[in-house]
Amino acid sequence: MSRALVMHPKDNVATVLEDVSPEQSVEIEGGDKTLTLSAKQAIPFGHKIALRKIRLSAKVLKYGEVIGTATQEISAGSHVHVHNIKSTRG
Amino acid sequence: MAQGKATPTFRGYRRPEGPPGGRNHLAIVSGMDNSNPIVRRIGSLVRDATPVNTSFGRALMGEDEAQHWRVMGHTAAHPNVGAAIIVSLEPKSANAIAEVAARTSPWMPIEAVNIQEIGGTLSTTSHVVELATKLSAHLASAKRVRCELGELTIGAECGGSDTTSGVISNPVTGMVADRIVEAGGSVIFSETLEIVGAEHLLARRAADRKTARRIIDSARRAVDYAESIGVDFIGSNPAPDNIRGGLSSIEEKSLGAIKKAGSHPIVEVVGVGERPKKKGTIFADAPCAGVENISSLAASGAQAIVFSTGIGNPIGHPISPTIKVTGNPRTARTMAENIDVDISGVMEGTMRIDEARDLLENELIAVMSGKLTTSELLGETELTVSRAALSL
Repeated sequence: MSRALVMHPKDNVATVLEDVSPEQSVEIEGGDKTLTLSAKQAIPFGHKIALRKIRLSAKVLKYGEVIGTATQEISAGSHVHVHNIKSTRG
Repeated sequence: MAQGKATPTFRGYRRPEGPPGGRNHLAIVSGMDNSNPIVRRIGSLVRDATPVNTSFGRALMGEDEAQHWRVMGHTAAHPNVGAAIIVSLEPKSANAIAEVAARTSPWMPIEAVNIQEIGGTLSTTSHVVELATKLSAHLASAKRVRCELGELTIGAECGGSDTTSGVISNPVTGMVADRIVEAGGSVIFSETLEIVGAEHLLARRAADRKTARRIIDSARRAVDYAESIGVDFIGSNPAPDNIRGGLSSIEEKSLGAIKKAGSHPIVEVVGVGERPKKKGTIFADAPCAGVENISSLAASGAQAIVFSTGIGNPIGHPISPTIKVTGNPRTARTMAENIDVDISGVMEGTMRIDEARDLLENELIAVMSGKLTTSELLGETELTVSRAALSL
């Protein structure tokens, strides 16, 4: 069992606290309720995992704030990074 | 409070007016770089004297000169100082700094000494030792009394940041900052370049329109200046090593940095070393570099500084005790003598985030009540004043 930390109740991503391998179970801490997800891909330490499905162009929330928008549909348990989200700043 | 815990108190030095101190320094304050050697010497000759050196100070003009005098004067008049001697090359700067200090803390015994009028190294040293010895005897009778958490202003700084900073040590610092603000105190955070990308989000947290505009303007000025020297700050952030660390956008990077200031409305924006007029969460428009930043935070009145670090940094402020907190297990091990609060257990699954918050808050209370920080114990303290202009 690997661990990830969610920073704010509104967030749809959490930060993994160790390197996660595909199919590995990830326990999400810091949210309102305990949640366990299965990682869709390898996710390196410090990177983000999607807590639920994020639709194309939907806001990606961390710290309760918008850190970018999805450039493709992202399924729960997926690695969320520069390949599937982009900054809202020019 | 949220967790139903009683608001803690600390044992500090009550002042005739203004906030209490966690230290009762006899500060020997250098007015400019050329006065540092004499100031250092006094520090080694008078047991209880705390030398406060500076950078630059000579031949400054306009806003640069005003900023230097403000930072050094506000440092001399700091709540953690019981008496101050300003030592400078010539009378104008010595008197200007002493005047700022006297205006800020009218109750404080303040002496201004200049090397040119007293005449040379040996006479000045002897004169300052005599003054310092008298003031030291005066300070020796001071006693600590019970002070409230809400009488605190802390500075929040992050330096040597890495992934653990944004996820662990900055949010935990922010939780302690929130508790102080809820008790009626203040947190000052700054590092203007680090808010860029999230300044629009920060502006939304401003208590009024003027504060929101000052936040946006501070970020804009930093970006414009970067552009004027050929640096595309927005386009180059997050940097490749940030992306490798998992940061996907400039907003995410900045939000992780801002997290150290907690979640309350921002009530005021101040410049380098300016004293805020309001209580609450305050943004200081000051540079990111560690020593420059803590020098500004302390001059703005931070009685202690919480310094959140990922990869580590040994430095602290000579007057405002600087508490190093890390969430990085490797740094906690390899730089143990420079770390005051190790919350890397959160990374390793042995500590909950609320336990980390309590650990940091307890350390802050202990330090304000007299416990020495690692940087105080090791003498790893420094001060530098930000420059507003180039030297001519």
